[in-house]
Amino acid sequence: MKELISLDSLTDIVSNSVGILIIFAVINLIHDNSKTYQLEIPLEHATDLSPVFFLCKDDRILSIDTDVLFSNATLQASSGAAASKRIFSLDYSGLFGKVDRDNGLSFYARETDQWSEFSDIDKRQSKLKKTMDSIDPTKQFAYFFVYDTSEDGAATASGFEAFRKAREYLKGHVVKSGWQPVNDDSPANICDRSLSPRCSYLPSYLGG
Amino acid sequence: MMSRATRYARYHQEQKLEISLFPFLSIFLCVMGVLSFINVLSSFSAPQKIELTAQLETGYKVAYQIFSLPDGIISVPPSKYLRKLQQAVDDVDKELIEVIIHHRESMIEKLESNKGSIMNAASDPDIDDVLDALHDIRTLNEIALKANYLYEEFILFGIYPNGGQAYQKVREIMALSQDARSISIGLEPLDSNWTLNLNKAPRNESDTQK
Repeated sequence: MKELISLDSLTDIVSNSVGILIIFAVINLIHDNSKTYQLEIPLEHATDLSPVFFLCKDDRILSIDTDVLFSNATLQASSGAAASKRIFSLDYSGLFGKVDRDNGLSFYARETDQWSEFSDIDKRQSKLKKTMDSIDPTKQFAYFFVYDTSEDGAATASGFEAFRKAREYLKGHVVKSGWQPVNDDSPANICDRSLSPRCSYLPSYLGG
Repeated sequence: MMSRATRYARYHQEQKLEISLFPFLSIFLCVMGVLSFINVLSSFSAPQKIELTAQLETGYKVAYQIFSLPDGIISVPPSKYLRKLQQAVDDVDKELIEVIIHHRESMIEKLESNKGSIMNAASDPDIDDVLDALHDIRTLNEIALKANYLYEEFILFGIYPNGGQAYQKVREIMALSQDARSISIGLEPLDSNWTLNLNKAPRNESDTQK
Protein backbone atom coordinates (compact mmCIF):
# COMPACT_ATOMS: atom_id res chain seq x y z
CA MET A 1 0.00 0.00 0.00
CA LYS A 2 2.80 2.33 0.98
CA GLU A 3 4.44 1.79 -2.36
CA LEU A 4 1.24 2.51 -4.28
CA ILE A 5 0.72 6.03 -2.87
CA SER A 6 3.67 8.29 -3.32
CA LEU A 7 3.52 11.14 -0.87
CA ASP A 8 6.36 12.97 -2.63
CA SER A 9 4.35 14.13 -5.61
CA LEU A 10 1.22 14.76 -3.54
CA THR A 11 3.18 16.95 -1.13
CA ASP A 12 4.67 18.77 -4.09
CA ILE A 13 1.25 19.50 -5.60
CA VAL A 14 -0.27 20.57 -2.30
CA SER A 15 2.65 22.82 -1.38
CA ASN A 16 2.42 24.50 -4.79
CA SER A 17 -1.33 25.01 -4.30
CA VAL A 18 -0.70 26.53 -0.87
CA GLY A 19 1.84 28.88 -2.39
CA ILE A 20 -0.66 30.01 -5.04
CA LEU A 21 -3.37 30.50 -2.43
CA ILE A 22 -1.03 32.57 -0.27
CA ILE A 23 -0.36 34.78 -3.29
CA PHE A 24 -4.12 35.16 -3.88
CA ALA A 25 -4.72 35.98 -0.22
CA VAL A 26 -2.00 38.63 -0.25
CA ILE A 27 -3.39 40.13 -3.47
CA ASN A 28 -6.86 40.19 -1.91
CA LEU A 29 -5.55 41.95 1.16
CA ILE A 30 -3.55 44.63 -0.59
CA HIS A 31 -5.88 45.12 -3.53
CA ASP A 32 -8.08 48.19 -3.28
CA ASN A 33 -11.45 46.84 -4.23
CA SER A 34 -13.00 50.24 -4.76
CA LYS A 35 -14.00 50.73 -8.35
CA THR A 36 -14.53 54.09 -9.86
CA TYR A 37 -17.90 53.97 -11.45
CA GLN A 38 -19.08 56.19 -14.19
CA LEU A 39 -22.83 56.23 -14.45
CA GLU A 40 -24.46 55.09 -17.60
CA ILE A 41 -25.78 57.92 -19.66
CA PRO A 42 -29.47 57.17 -19.96
CA LEU A 43 -31.36 60.07 -21.49
CA GLU A 44 -35.10 60.33 -21.61
CA HIS A 45 -36.17 60.89 -25.16
CA ALA A 46 -39.42 61.36 -27.01
CA THR A 47 -40.70 58.33 -28.87
CA ASP A 48 -43.63 57.05 -30.89
CA LEU A 49 -43.37 53.70 -29.11
CA SER A 50 -46.07 52.82 -26.62
CA PRO A 51 -45.14 51.83 -23.05
CA VAL A 52 -45.59 48.37 -21.56
CA PHE A 53 -45.73 48.94 -17.80
CA PHE A 54 -44.02 46.91 -15.09
CA LEU A 55 -43.81 47.24 -11.33
CA CYS A 56 -40.67 46.21 -9.42
CA LYS A 57 -40.78 45.55 -5.70
CA ASP A 58 -39.26 43.05 -3.24
CA ASP A 59 -37.03 41.65 -6.01
CA ARG A 60 -40.15 40.76 -7.96
CA ILE A 61 -41.62 42.10 -11.17
CA LEU A 62 -45.25 42.48 -12.16
CA SER A 63 -46.34 43.07 -15.72
CA ILE A 64 -49.26 45.47 -15.76
CA ASP A 65 -52.10 44.85 -18.16
CA THR A 66 -53.47 48.37 -18.36
CA ASP A 67 -56.73 47.25 -19.99
CA VAL A 68 -57.57 44.97 -17.07
CA LEU A 69 -56.30 47.48 -14.51
CA PHE A 70 -58.38 50.33 -15.88
CA SER A 71 -61.52 48.22 -16.33
CA ASN A 72 -61.18 47.08 -12.69
CA ALA A 73 -60.68 50.68 -11.64
CA THR A 74 -63.73 51.74 -13.65
CA LEU A 75 -65.85 49.17 -11.82
CA GLN A 76 -64.65 50.57 -8.52
CA ALA A 77 -65.17 54.13 -9.70
CA SER A 78 -68.83 53.43 -10.26
CA SER A 79 -69.12 51.89 -6.78
CA GLY A 80 -68.10 55.13 -5.13
CA ALA A 81 -64.74 54.19 -3.60
CA ALA A 82 -62.87 55.93 -6.37
CA ALA A 83 -65.11 58.96 -6.36
CA SER A 84 -64.36 59.60 -2.71
CA LYS A 85 -60.58 59.32 -3.41
CA ARG A 86 -60.31 56.32 -1.13
CA ILE A 87 -57.78 53.59 -1.75
CA PHE A 88 -59.54 50.54 -3.14
CA SER A 89 -58.58 47.07 -4.22
CA LEU A 90 -57.96 46.68 -7.94
CA ASP A 91 -58.31 42.89 -7.84
CA TYR A 92 -55.04 42.70 -9.69
CA SER A 93 -52.08 40.87 -8.12
CA GLY A 94 -52.37 42.61 -4.76
CA LEU A 95 -52.58 46.11 -6.18
CA PHE A 96 -54.62 48.87 -4.59
CA GLY A 97 -55.59 52.01 -6.44
CA LYS A 98 -56.72 55.57 -6.09
CA VAL A 99 -58.19 57.85 -8.69
CA ASP A 100 -57.85 61.60 -8.77
CA ARG A 101 -57.83 64.28 -11.41
CA ASP A 102 -54.15 65.27 -11.17
CA ASN A 103 -52.57 61.85 -11.01
CA GLY A 104 -55.05 59.69 -12.90
CA LEU A 105 -54.91 56.14 -11.57
CA SER A 106 -52.35 55.71 -8.80
CA PHE A 107 -51.59 52.22 -7.64
CA TYR A 108 -50.00 50.83 -4.52
CA ALA A 109 -48.34 47.44 -4.28
CA ARG A 110 -49.20 45.79 -0.97
CA GLU A 111 -48.69 42.09 -1.56
CA THR A 112 -46.12 40.84 -4.01
CA ASP A 113 -46.32 37.09 -3.40
CA GLN A 114 -48.08 36.49 -6.71
CA TRP A 115 -45.51 38.41 -8.74
CA SER A 116 -42.69 36.78 -10.66
CA GLU A 117 -39.25 36.75 -9.09
CA PHE A 118 -36.75 38.60 -11.22
CA SER A 119 -34.58 35.51 -11.52
CA ASP A 120 -37.48 33.96 -13.47
CA ILE A 121 -36.33 35.95 -16.52
CA ASP A 122 -33.69 33.26 -17.04
CA LYS A 123 -36.22 30.43 -16.83
CA ARG A 124 -37.35 29.23 -20.21
CA GLN A 125 -41.03 28.69 -19.44
CA SER A 126 -41.57 31.59 -17.05
CA LYS A 127 -44.49 33.94 -17.51
CA LEU A 128 -42.23 36.95 -17.01
CA LYS A 129 -39.85 35.88 -19.75
CA LYS A 130 -42.78 35.31 -22.12
CA THR A 131 -44.17 38.77 -21.35
CA MET A 132 -40.80 40.42 -21.93
CA ASP A 133 -40.20 38.43 -25.10
CA SER A 134 -43.61 39.54 -26.42
CA ILE A 135 -42.59 43.20 -26.40
CA ASP A 136 -42.26 44.36 -29.98
CA PRO A 137 -39.26 46.75 -30.09
CA THR A 138 -40.59 48.45 -33.21
CA LYS A 139 -43.84 49.40 -31.48
CA GLN A 140 -43.29 49.21 -27.74
CA PHE A 141 -40.84 49.90 -24.95
CA ALA A 142 -40.80 48.79 -21.32
CA TYR A 143 -41.51 51.28 -18.56
CA PHE A 144 -40.76 50.34 -14.96
CA PHE A 145 -42.17 51.76 -11.75
CA VAL A 146 -39.42 50.82 -9.32
CA TYR A 147 -39.89 50.83 -5.54
CA ASP A 148 -36.99 52.71 -3.97
CA THR A 149 -37.73 51.67 -0.40
CA SER A 150 -35.10 49.62 1.37
CA GLU A 151 -35.11 47.62 4.55
CA ASP A 152 -32.70 48.57 7.33
CA GLY A 153 -29.19 47.48 6.47
CA ALA A 154 -29.96 46.64 2.85
CA ALA A 155 -27.59 48.26 0.38
CA THR A 156 -30.07 48.27 -2.46
CA ALA A 157 -33.71 49.24 -2.76
CA SER A 158 -36.41 46.61 -3.00
CA GLY A 159 -36.95 47.09 -6.72
CA PHE A 160 -33.55 48.19 -8.02
CA GLU A 161 -31.98 44.77 -8.51
CA ALA A 162 -35.02 43.43 -10.34
CA PHE A 163 -35.11 46.51 -12.56
CA ARG A 164 -31.41 46.25 -13.43
CA LYS A 165 -31.82 42.61 -14.35
CA ALA A 166 -34.88 43.29 -16.50
CA ARG A 167 -33.19 46.26 -18.15
CA GLU A 168 -30.19 44.14 -19.12
CA TYR A 169 -32.43 41.40 -20.45
CA LEU A 170 -34.43 43.85 -22.56
CA LYS A 171 -31.26 45.52 -23.79
CA GLY A 172 -30.21 42.14 -25.15
CA HIS A 173 -33.52 41.98 -27.01
CA VAL A 174 -33.14 45.50 -28.45
CA VAL A 175 -36.05 46.77 -26.37
CA LYS A 176 -35.84 50.30 -24.97
CA SER A 177 -36.69 50.90 -21.35
CA GLY A 178 -37.43 53.74 -18.98
CA TRP A 179 -38.18 53.98 -15.29
CA GLN A 180 -39.06 56.12 -12.33
CA PRO A 181 -38.65 55.55 -8.59
CA VAL A 182 -41.88 55.13 -6.64
CA ASN A 183 -42.94 54.47 -3.06
CA ASP A 184 -46.09 54.73 -0.98
CA ASP A 185 -45.74 58.52 -0.69
CA SER A 186 -45.14 58.95 -4.42
CA PRO A 187 -47.02 56.00 -5.87
CA ALA A 188 -46.87 54.73 -9.41
CA ASN A 189 -49.51 56.36 -11.53
CA ILE A 190 -50.78 56.26 -15.06
CA CYS A 191 -52.40 59.40 -16.34
CA ASP A 192 -52.91 61.36 -19.51
CA ARG A 193 -50.17 63.73 -20.56
CA SER A 194 -52.73 66.45 -21.21
CA LEU A 195 -53.37 66.56 -17.43
CA SER A 196 -49.79 67.20 -16.39
CA PRO A 197 -46.29 67.19 -17.91
CA ARG A 198 -45.41 64.66 -15.19
CA CYS A 199 -47.72 62.19 -16.91
CA SER A 200 -45.16 61.30 -19.52
CA TYR A 201 -43.53 57.90 -19.71
CA LEU A 202 -40.38 57.99 -21.76
CA PRO A 203 -37.65 55.49 -22.52
CA SER A 204 -34.15 56.39 -21.43
CA TYR A 205 -32.13 53.23 -21.96
CA LEU A 206 -31.48 52.31 -25.53
CA GLY A 207 -32.09 48.73 -26.47
CA GLY A 208 -29.11 46.88 -27.93
CA MET B 1 33.98 -4.06 -4.84
CA MET B 2 31.54 -3.86 -1.96
CA SER B 3 30.34 -7.05 -0.51
CA ARG B 4 26.67 -7.94 -0.62
CA ALA B 5 26.48 -7.46 3.15
CA THR B 6 27.86 -3.88 2.90
CA ARG B 7 25.40 -2.94 0.14
CA TYR B 8 22.52 -4.35 2.12
CA ALA B 9 23.65 -2.46 5.22
CA ARG B 10 23.78 0.89 3.30
CA TYR B 11 20.38 0.27 1.74
CA HIS B 12 18.94 -0.49 5.12
CA GLN B 13 20.51 2.68 6.54
CA GLU B 14 18.98 4.87 3.74
CA GLN B 15 15.58 3.43 4.45
CA LYS B 16 15.90 4.39 8.05
CA LEU B 17 16.72 8.04 7.15
CA GLU B 18 13.61 8.50 4.97
CA ILE B 19 11.56 11.48 6.22
CA SER B 20 7.86 10.94 6.65
CA LEU B 21 5.98 13.50 4.50
CA PHE B 22 2.61 12.84 6.04
CA PRO B 23 2.81 15.56 8.77
CA PHE B 24 3.87 18.12 6.16
CA LEU B 25 1.04 17.09 3.91
CA SER B 26 -1.39 17.35 6.76
CA ILE B 27 -0.25 20.87 7.67
CA PHE B 28 -0.30 21.96 4.02
CA LEU B 29 -3.81 20.67 3.54
CA CYS B 30 -4.98 22.52 6.66
CA VAL B 31 -3.36 25.77 5.45
CA MET B 32 -4.83 25.25 1.98
CA GLY B 33 -8.30 24.76 3.43
CA VAL B 34 -8.05 27.89 5.59
CA LEU B 35 -6.71 30.01 2.72
CA SER B 36 -9.37 28.77 0.31
CA PHE B 37 -12.03 29.60 2.87
CA ILE B 38 -10.61 33.11 3.39
CA ASN B 39 -10.37 33.73 -0.35
CA VAL B 40 -13.91 32.55 -1.04
CA LEU B 41 -15.23 34.52 1.92
CA SER B 42 -13.51 37.74 0.89
CA SER B 43 -14.64 37.47 -2.71
CA PHE B 44 -18.28 36.84 -1.78
CA SER B 45 -18.94 38.74 1.41
CA ALA B 46 -16.73 41.80 1.14
CA PRO B 47 -18.90 44.65 -0.06
CA GLN B 48 -17.67 46.06 -3.33
CA LYS B 49 -16.78 49.68 -2.86
CA ILE B 50 -17.86 51.72 -5.83
CA GLU B 51 -17.01 55.34 -6.20
CA LEU B 52 -18.89 57.64 -8.50
CA THR B 53 -17.04 60.28 -10.44
CA ALA B 54 -17.94 63.93 -10.32
CA GLN B 55 -17.18 64.57 -13.96
CA LEU B 56 -19.26 62.63 -16.41
CA GLU B 57 -19.67 63.11 -20.12
CA THR B 58 -20.45 61.27 -23.30
CA GLY B 59 -19.29 62.92 -26.45
CA TYR B 60 -20.31 66.56 -26.22
CA LYS B 61 -23.02 65.89 -23.63
CA VAL B 62 -21.93 66.70 -20.10
CA ALA B 63 -23.86 65.65 -17.00
CA TYR B 64 -25.02 67.97 -14.25
CA GLN B 65 -25.38 65.27 -11.61
CA ILE B 66 -28.01 65.38 -8.90
CA PHE B 67 -27.77 62.60 -6.33
CA SER B 68 -31.05 61.95 -4.62
CA LEU B 69 -30.75 60.59 -1.09
CA PRO B 70 -33.21 60.04 1.77
CA ASP B 71 -32.04 63.31 3.36
CA GLY B 72 -32.26 65.38 0.20
CA ILE B 73 -30.08 66.03 -2.82
CA ILE B 74 -26.43 66.68 -3.63
CA SER B 75 -25.84 68.71 -6.78
CA VAL B 76 -22.54 68.18 -8.57
CA PRO B 77 -22.25 70.66 -11.43
CA PRO B 78 -19.68 70.14 -14.19
CA SER B 79 -17.07 72.83 -14.80
CA LYS B 80 -14.27 71.04 -16.63
CA TYR B 81 -15.03 72.28 -20.14
CA LEU B 82 -16.48 75.69 -19.34
CA ARG B 83 -13.14 77.51 -19.72
CA LYS B 84 -12.79 76.12 -23.23
CA LEU B 85 -16.35 77.14 -24.03
CA GLN B 86 -15.58 80.59 -22.66
CA GLN B 87 -12.76 81.01 -25.17
CA ALA B 88 -15.10 80.26 -28.07
CA VAL B 89 -17.77 82.89 -27.33
CA ASP B 90 -18.15 86.67 -27.44
CA ASP B 91 -17.39 89.03 -24.54
CA VAL B 92 -20.95 89.25 -23.22
CA ASP B 93 -21.29 85.49 -23.04
CA LYS B 94 -17.79 85.23 -21.56
CA GLU B 95 -18.98 87.22 -18.57
CA LEU B 96 -22.09 85.09 -18.21
CA ILE B 97 -19.99 81.93 -18.24
CA GLU B 98 -17.56 83.46 -15.73
CA VAL B 99 -20.42 84.03 -13.30
CA ILE B 100 -21.62 80.46 -13.75
CA ILE B 101 -18.09 79.05 -13.30
CA HIS B 102 -17.63 81.06 -10.13
CA HIS B 103 -20.97 79.86 -8.76
CA ARG B 104 -20.22 76.24 -9.59
CA GLU B 105 -16.72 76.33 -8.13
CA SER B 106 -18.10 77.68 -4.89
CA MET B 107 -20.66 74.84 -4.87
CA ILE B 108 -17.90 72.25 -5.29
CA GLU B 109 -15.75 73.95 -2.63
CA LYS B 110 -18.69 73.84 -0.26
CA LEU B 111 -19.12 70.12 -0.94
CA GLU B 112 -15.40 69.46 -0.50
CA SER B 113 -15.27 71.38 2.75
CA ASN B 114 -18.00 69.20 4.19
CA LYS B 115 -16.59 67.25 7.12
CA GLY B 116 -17.07 63.50 7.09
CA SER B 117 -18.56 61.64 4.16
CA ILE B 118 -19.72 63.73 1.26
CA MET B 119 -22.89 61.66 1.28
CA ASN B 120 -23.87 63.49 4.47
CA ALA B 121 -23.94 66.77 2.57
CA ALA B 122 -27.43 66.16 1.20
CA SER B 123 -29.97 68.88 1.82
CA ASP B 124 -33.61 69.42 1.00
CA PRO B 125 -34.06 70.59 -2.58
CA ASP B 126 -34.35 74.36 -2.49
CA ILE B 127 -36.68 75.74 -5.16
CA ASP B 128 -34.46 78.75 -5.95
CA ASP B 129 -31.31 76.63 -6.15
CA VAL B 130 -32.96 74.18 -8.54
CA LEU B 131 -34.37 76.97 -10.69
CA ASP B 132 -30.97 78.70 -10.78
CA ALA B 133 -29.29 75.46 -11.81
CA LEU B 134 -31.83 74.95 -14.60
CA HIS B 135 -31.36 78.50 -15.78
CA ASP B 136 -27.56 78.12 -15.82
CA ILE B 137 -27.77 74.88 -17.81
CA ARG B 138 -30.13 76.41 -20.34
CA THR B 139 -27.94 79.52 -20.64
CA LEU B 140 -24.82 77.45 -21.25
CA ASN B 141 -26.55 75.23 -23.81
CA GLU B 142 -27.87 78.26 -25.68
CA ILE B 143 -24.49 80.01 -25.62
CA ALA B 144 -22.79 76.88 -26.96
CA LEU B 145 -25.42 76.53 -29.68
CA LYS B 146 -25.09 80.17 -30.66
CA ALA B 147 -21.30 79.85 -30.88
CA ASN B 148 -21.67 76.60 -32.81
CA TYR B 149 -19.61 74.93 -30.09
CA LEU B 150 -20.26 71.24 -29.38
CA TYR B 151 -21.30 71.34 -25.76
CA GLU B 152 -24.58 70.39 -24.10
CA GLU B 153 -25.38 69.88 -20.46
CA PHE B 154 -28.09 67.57 -19.22
CA ILE B 155 -29.32 66.55 -15.79
CA LEU B 156 -28.48 63.10 -14.56
CA PHE B 157 -30.24 61.92 -11.43
CA GLY B 158 -28.59 59.24 -9.32
CA ILE B 159 -31.33 57.73 -7.18
CA TYR B 160 -30.27 56.08 -3.92
CA PRO B 161 -32.57 53.78 -1.92
CA ASN B 162 -35.31 55.90 -0.30
CA GLY B 163 -34.18 58.83 -2.42
CA GLY B 164 -37.30 58.90 -4.58
CA GLN B 165 -39.00 61.54 -2.47
CA ALA B 166 -36.28 64.15 -3.05
CA TYR B 167 -36.22 63.22 -6.76
CA GLN B 168 -39.96 63.74 -7.06
CA LYS B 169 -39.64 67.15 -5.41
CA VAL B 170 -37.01 68.23 -7.92
CA ARG B 171 -39.13 66.94 -10.81
CA GLU B 172 -42.12 68.90 -9.49
CA ILE B 173 -40.02 72.06 -9.50
CA MET B 174 -38.77 71.23 -12.98
CA ALA B 175 -42.33 70.76 -14.21
CA LEU B 176 -42.96 74.43 -13.38
CA SER B 177 -39.83 75.72 -15.09
CA GLN B 178 -39.65 76.85 -18.69
CA ASP B 179 -35.88 76.33 -18.61
CA ALA B 180 -36.28 72.62 -17.90
CA ARG B 181 -38.23 71.93 -21.08
CA SER B 182 -35.17 72.08 -23.30
CA ILE B 183 -32.93 70.11 -20.93
CA SER B 184 -32.40 66.38 -21.36
CA ILE B 185 -32.84 64.20 -18.29
CA GLY B 186 -31.49 60.82 -17.29
CA LEU B 187 -31.81 58.76 -14.15
CA GLU B 188 -29.95 55.80 -12.77
CA PRO B 189 -30.57 53.63 -9.66
CA LEU B 190 -27.67 53.54 -7.18
CA ASP B 191 -26.97 51.34 -4.18
CA SER B 192 -26.26 52.87 -0.79
CA ASN B 193 -22.64 51.60 -0.74
CA TRP B 194 -21.82 53.51 -3.91
CA THR B 195 -20.14 56.67 -2.73
CA LEU B 196 -19.31 59.88 -4.50
CA ASN B 197 -15.67 60.89 -4.82
CA LEU B 198 -15.25 64.43 -6.11
CA ASN B 199 -11.55 64.14 -6.80
CA LYS B 200 -11.33 60.76 -8.43
CA ALA B 201 -11.36 60.41 -12.18
CA PRO B 202 -12.44 57.16 -13.82
CA ARG B 203 -9.48 54.84 -14.44
CA ASN B 204 -10.56 53.75 -17.86
CA GLU B 205 -13.65 53.12 -19.90
CA SER B 206 -13.70 49.36 -19.37
CA ASP B 207 -13.73 49.37 -15.58
CA THR B 208 -16.05 52.27 -15.21
CA GLN B 209 -18.96 51.34 -17.40
CA LYS B 210 -21.22 48.74 -15.94
